[in-house]
Amino acid sequence: MDEQALLESYLVVGALLFGIGLVGFCSRRNMIVMFLAAEMMLQGVSLSLVAWGRYHNNWGGQMLVIFILTVAACEAAIALAVVLSLFHKNGSLDIALWQNLREDNQPAHADRDADELRALPETQWPTLAPAGIEPDHDLDEVLHRTHI
Amino acid sequence: MSSIVSTLLIAIPALPLAATIVTALFGRRLGERSHLPIVVALVTAFLASFLLVAEVAKEAGESEMKVGWEQTVDVWNWLNVDDAIATPPAAHAAADAPALPARLPFTIGVTLRADPLTAIMLAMVTFVASLVAIYASGYMHGDRGYWRFFTYIGLFVFSMTMLVSVSNFVLLYVFWEAVGLCSYLLIGFWYEKPEAAAAGKKAFLVNRIGDFGFALGLFLMWTTYGTLNFHDAGGVAGILGQTRLAQPDLFVGGGVATAICLLLMLGACGKSAQFPLHVWLPDAMEGPTPVSALIHAATMVTAGVYMVTRCTPLFQVSPDAQAVVAIIGATTAALGGIIAMTQTDLKRVLAYSTISQLGYMFLGLGVATLTSITAGMFHLFTHAFFKALLFLGAGSVMHAMGGVIDMRRFGGLHRLMPTTHWTFLFGCLALAGVVPFAGFWSKDAILAAVHEKAAEHTLFAVLYWVGLGTAFLTAIYTFRAFFLTFYGPERVPHEAGHHAHESPRPMTLPLVVLAVCALGVGAYFEWTQGFAEMLRYTPSLAYEVIAPHEHAHDHGSHLLVAVTSTVIALAGIGIAAYLYLGDASQVAALTRLLSPLYWLSYGKLFFDQIYMALFIWPLWALALASYWVDRYVIDGLVNLVGKLPVWVGASLRSLQAGMVQFYALAMIWGVVVLAVTLLVWPAIAASWK
Repeated sequence: MDEQALLESYLVVGALLFGIGLVGFCSRRNMIVMFLAAEMMLQGVSLSLVAWGRYHNNWGGQMLVIFILTVAACEAAIALAVVLSLFHKNGSLDIALWQNLREDNQPAHADRDADELRALPETQWPTLAPAGIEPDHDLDEVLHRTHI
Repeated sequence: MSSIVSTLLIAIPALPLAATIVTALFGRRLGERSHLPIVVALVTAFLASFLLVAEVAKEAGESEMKVGWEQTVDVWNWLNVDDAIATPPAAHAAADAPALPARLPFTIGVTLRADPLTAIMLAMVTFVASLVAIYASGYMHGDRGYWRFFTYIGLFVFSMTMLVSVSNFVLLYVFWEAVGLCSYLLIGFWYEKPEAAAAGKKAFLVNRIGDFGFALGLFLMWTTYGTLNFHDAGGVAGILGQTRLAQPDLFVGGGVATAICLLLMLGACGKSAQFPLHVWLPDAMEGPTPVSALIHAATMVTAGVYMVTRCTPLFQVSPDAQAVVAIIGATTAALGGIIAMTQTDLKRVLAYSTISQLGYMFLGLGVATLTSITAGMFHLFTHAFFKALLFLGAGSVMHAMGGVIDMRRFGGLHRLMPTTHWTFLFGCLALAGVVPFAGFWSKDAILAAVHEKAAEHTLFAVLYWVGLGTAFLTAIYTFRAFFLTFYGPERVPHEAGHHAHESPRPMTLPLVVLAVCALGVGAYFEWTQGFAEMLRYTPSLAYEVIAPHEHAHDHGSHLLVAVTSTVIALAGIGIAAYLYLGDASQVAALTRLLSPLYWLSYGKLFFDQIYMALFIWPLWALALASYWVDRYVIDGLVNLVGKLPVWVGASLRSLQAGMVQFYALAMIWGVVVLAVTLLVWPAIAASWK
């Protein structure tokens, strides 16, 4: 197999990964699925970088991919934490419920089922009992904190 | 050069100015004594002016008559712009100076001048002003704005004395405006009265028209002569300076001269209430009566006469402009006389009579022989006394009648107010021109001068008859007012209350002094010939400048004119006595007989209405149109520019929906557009080559 054909195969697979991720990101409303779709786009790009790196016999592409993987790992941690805290707010993973950053006076976009979900009563999630007894707080420290 | 002249010259305006400042600063504290600083300053200024006249007469008598006598004193240099204008051909170096550079500076020095014309004007102004100030201390007693009144009076006298003593056209203009401002302030003195406020505004606006012409005249003089000084200064021959006067061919003639003179005359028409700008003066009677006497009869309104007299050498090179001056003067004299015939407001009768008498003065100036110009100035001088007297008398009547000035509402006051009655009679005799009162000599001198010139040109013959006719009218309307006010059955309006008695001494004293002047001043100067003799030493009127028109003084014709005008005056008085001392049915019958004339005269020849239709309404319509254009077209455009971002923002706002996927799509489309452009653009660019 010559290098040209190999590059093309890799690029096709990368483009497919990217395209699937793109479509998935735009069409799905589940935040975790959207996150996965975004990761898929990332991997598509990474694959292309690796392929080009090999084609040019240059380690730069693969270097970049290592960085991307590192950043993606951090980003995954943060993104999942954000998703989790959003889920804690209203018990749904539907992205259509989060339009708070829209322009003032703009009506919320009414997506399918979004209004029903929004109308659901606030769910009380079980919490763990506090472990042990709350320690006495240093008064100065408390005051200082409130000042901050 | 005597330093006493310089000292007096500076002291005369400085005294009223100082008193004004004192009154303005401490007026509230001075209260009822606010008149003291002003009266003291004015009387002192009058004494100084009197000294100045004596000094000037002495010095002038010793000088060479050819170019007259003048002395200037530089106070300070107000402004100086180097290389302001390319030296015009008519500019000329002063007699003892080197040739002029290629460009001349624009230099305005505050320079006061003493010459006979200035000295006489100063003496007249300060004398009348002193008496009026004394009178006003009684007349304005108890007025809320007592100190304000005297502050304005002081400011006015300062401006007026500066006006007649500055030696530069720009400063003349400045003080010309300053007296206009004082006039405005004093007409609108009782500003709570809507008529007074409107009259002040009208006076100011009508004067603007004249002042606009005056300003244009100044510009034209500046570009023509390269200087605006009267006297020779900075090596440049002044417009009315000794160098130019000594060589009359240095004056520019032709169209430029006519234009300058007509523009100056327009300014004079505004200030001196001449046709067609006379409409403001009758309304100015809304001001306090001492103001009418001082500003609108004796002093400020004569500023135009003074200015034209001062500019006599300029007018001498333009006979057309002189004819215009004479025609305007005669026209104004006649129409003032006609309107005054039927007015019922005593002060308005006097106002129209002032307009008419100012017309006589301009007639004298327009005839433009030395005798006629000195006669015009002589009339200005005597008129100041008897017209101030008449106004102050009218004020005394008004004071006693509780502010009523309508002659239909009072009558037969000669027993109630003996002093006012006698002094008013003196004023009336002087105004009607009866021997030996002041007005006779001066009016007769003008008519005689016109008559002398009548042989030369038909125009002046017509003007002479107009003048005589006006003298007849003058006698009738003067004594009509006199008889209506002081004779007939005694009637007192209810507003008078317990005031219906003779005015207090501060008011009657000036009346008596002025009555003596109205009786004696004309005869005295006619007897001694001192006035004309002295005036001839004014540089502007010096012999060489005015075409020597001294063909043997024709005493026969002069006597004829004098007899004619006396007969006419007596006839007028007789008719007035017949009509207004008898029963009212005669007047009613006459009114019916001459009803169109009566209607015209009573309607003041409808000048106000004509101006309303010709100027005010069109301007008003224009203003309204401008308002609509501004409101809806210009403001509309500005508002459109303001609203455009709002509309664009409103239409783009829906893009900011807060949905993550929407933003992602926007990014995708952006990338697609970029990619397509990147791929397609080179192809398009290649196809263009």
